[in-house]
Amino acid sequence: MQRNGFKYANLFLMLLLTLFIFTLIYEIITHTDPASLITNIISSEIQFAIRLSLLTSLISTFMCILIAIPVSYSLARYDFHGKALINTLLDLPMALPPIVAGLGLLLIFGTTSVGNFLADAGLKFVFTVPGIIMAQFAVNISLMLRIMRSTFEGINPRYEHVAQTLGCTPFQAFIRTTLPLSKNGMIAGSVITWSRGMGEFGAVLMLAGATRMKTETLPIALYLNMSSGELDLAIAAATILILISGITLYLFERKGGVAKLY
Amino acid sequence: MVNMIEVSDLSIELGEFDLESINLCVKEGEYFCILGPTGSGKTILLESIAGIYKPDLGSILINNHDVTDLLPKDRNISVVYQDFMLFPNMNIRENIGFGLKYKGFDKSEIAEKVERTAEQLGIAHLLDRHPSTLSGGEKQRTAIARAIITEPDLLLLDEPLSALDSGTKSRLRQELLRIHHLKKTTTIHVTHSFEEAFALADRIAIMYGGKIHQIGTPDEVFRKPNSAFVANFVGVENLFHGNSVIRGNLSEIWANGLTIISSTLKSGDVSVSIRPEDILISKDPIDSSAQNSFSGVLTEISRMKSTVNLVIDTGIPFRAVLTKRAYDDMGLYVGSWVYLTFKASATHII
Repeated sequence: MQRNGFKYANLFLMLLLTLFIFTLIYEIITHTDPASLITNIISSEIQFAIRLSLLTSLISTFMCILIAIPVSYSLARYDFHGKALINTLLDLPMALPPIVAGLGLLLIFGTTSVGNFLADAGLKFVFTVPGIIMAQFAVNISLMLRIMRSTFEGINPRYEHVAQTLGCTPFQAFIRTTLPLSKNGMIAGSVITWSRGMGEFGAVLMLAGATRMKTETLPIALYLNMSSGELDLAIAAATILILISGITLYLFERKGGVAKLY
Repeated sequence: MVNMIEVSDLSIELGEFDLESINLCVKEGEYFCILGPTGSGKTILLESIAGIYKPDLGSILINNHDVTDLLPKDRNISVVYQDFMLFPNMNIRENIGFGLKYKGFDKSEIAEKVERTAEQLGIAHLLDRHPSTLSGGEKQRTAIARAIITEPDLLLLDEPLSALDSGTKSRLRQELLRIHHLKKTTTIHVTHSFEEAFALADRIAIMYGGKIHQIGTPDEVFRKPNSAFVANFVGVENLFHGNSVIRGNLSEIWANGLTIISSTLKSGDVSVSIRPEDILISKDPIDSSAQNSFSGVLTEISRMKSTVNLVIDTGIPFRAVLTKRAYDDMGLYVGSWVYLTFKASATHII
């Protein structure tokens, strides 16, 4: 009897939590009726936000992959002095509140010599779309690095050794063996980086600001419309973000639970 | 015969494993085994020869060309690993043909060579399968095919039989010999199994702690180990410490109360080994020219497949071996008083 009591108490709490999460989502989706939800989603402001979020998150994800492959490969394969320190520093953005990372970015790219130099070269990050991409990149690169690092660590370096003895340069050996073998990790990392890019708020707000129809990504649209009392538009943005979370989770499950590690 | 590969004073530090001043030469067409326990640096040595690691000191010559600074791809060496390392993203045909693409062969030549090599190794029926669907033996045949198809000057085998069950192991051991006779490719085979090295090698190097301790034919290494470590490792069982004094043309070794005579001349603190099969066992003292004769109590009898191993306590324990027939004829039991006789030339001083 006591054993059953324990079991039912646990199950009851589990059901309670499930109900809580379900209600949370249900409230957002059903707050407006389906017809006006669709009207709001196809409104020019939300359409702009969807397009901008998609564009910036796809570019920042691509940048993350491009940088994460060589950097995480170095961490997985080479031994060097100060490796532990570099590792910790590279992991830091993951634990850092995004708004703090955003502040750092603002200080780098603001009216400093670096910022001025880049601005003169035509690369303005403060209150611009490139700023959104930079903010998403800075916040998400750590996660991509971690996923790619553990992916590379899980691949025996001897595949490359064999390929090298069979005629490949070190680079060719990597392209023919380790890279294709890291496909699952790379897909999982890209999906999570993309989804977090779509939803990134704090760092984007700090560096790119929240200007309607200019740097208005989906989370910024949610924030701006809540502030100005346009609840229906805010809910439209939120619904899209919920949809993206659902897609991400589904893709993750299909890629063999790489998500469980993180 | 000429030296195909010459490794001179090779040293490398890799944190966990170090190689210390390795010197070895392998002759054209030779089957050379490097024998040593796990963690002795054998694989690092093999991978240094292949060019995966750059040595801190020393040089590697292949056919009299210095290859120390060459990339692996420019050395014409192939490697087969214990865990096969077949590319999981390619089928067997693509795995075997992998190296030919980079050696400038065209598609039809590759297809033909892959078919021929696969046939030689009895895996022609597997060409369209994926590595994950193969048995251990089939995987290793594929790995060997992939390695030899490029006609390397030197074939490096890293514990190629260790991941296989015992039946497959002995079949593949024969296969390695057959391929070696067929191709005459100079081969360096790394193993921790003395039996394997004994069966395959023209010569053996014993490696331990990143150093090579002895190089010789299997018989030399087995019969005349040059250190206590080598003796222990190759399984010499009667190994004693003692103090040796040279008298005339013999050495007398005082070991735990026994005086053992050896025809090897060496004085001072020494290790002595006597192979169990060189010891004659009898129930009565026998008259012979053998210099060493002791008696003691039989303390242990263990029956093997075709032999019986005995331990006799003479003050120090001697291990000896009898054929089953001889054992049965003698009617021995634990507690029997027996005599041991062996020649001075059977006593190896290390």
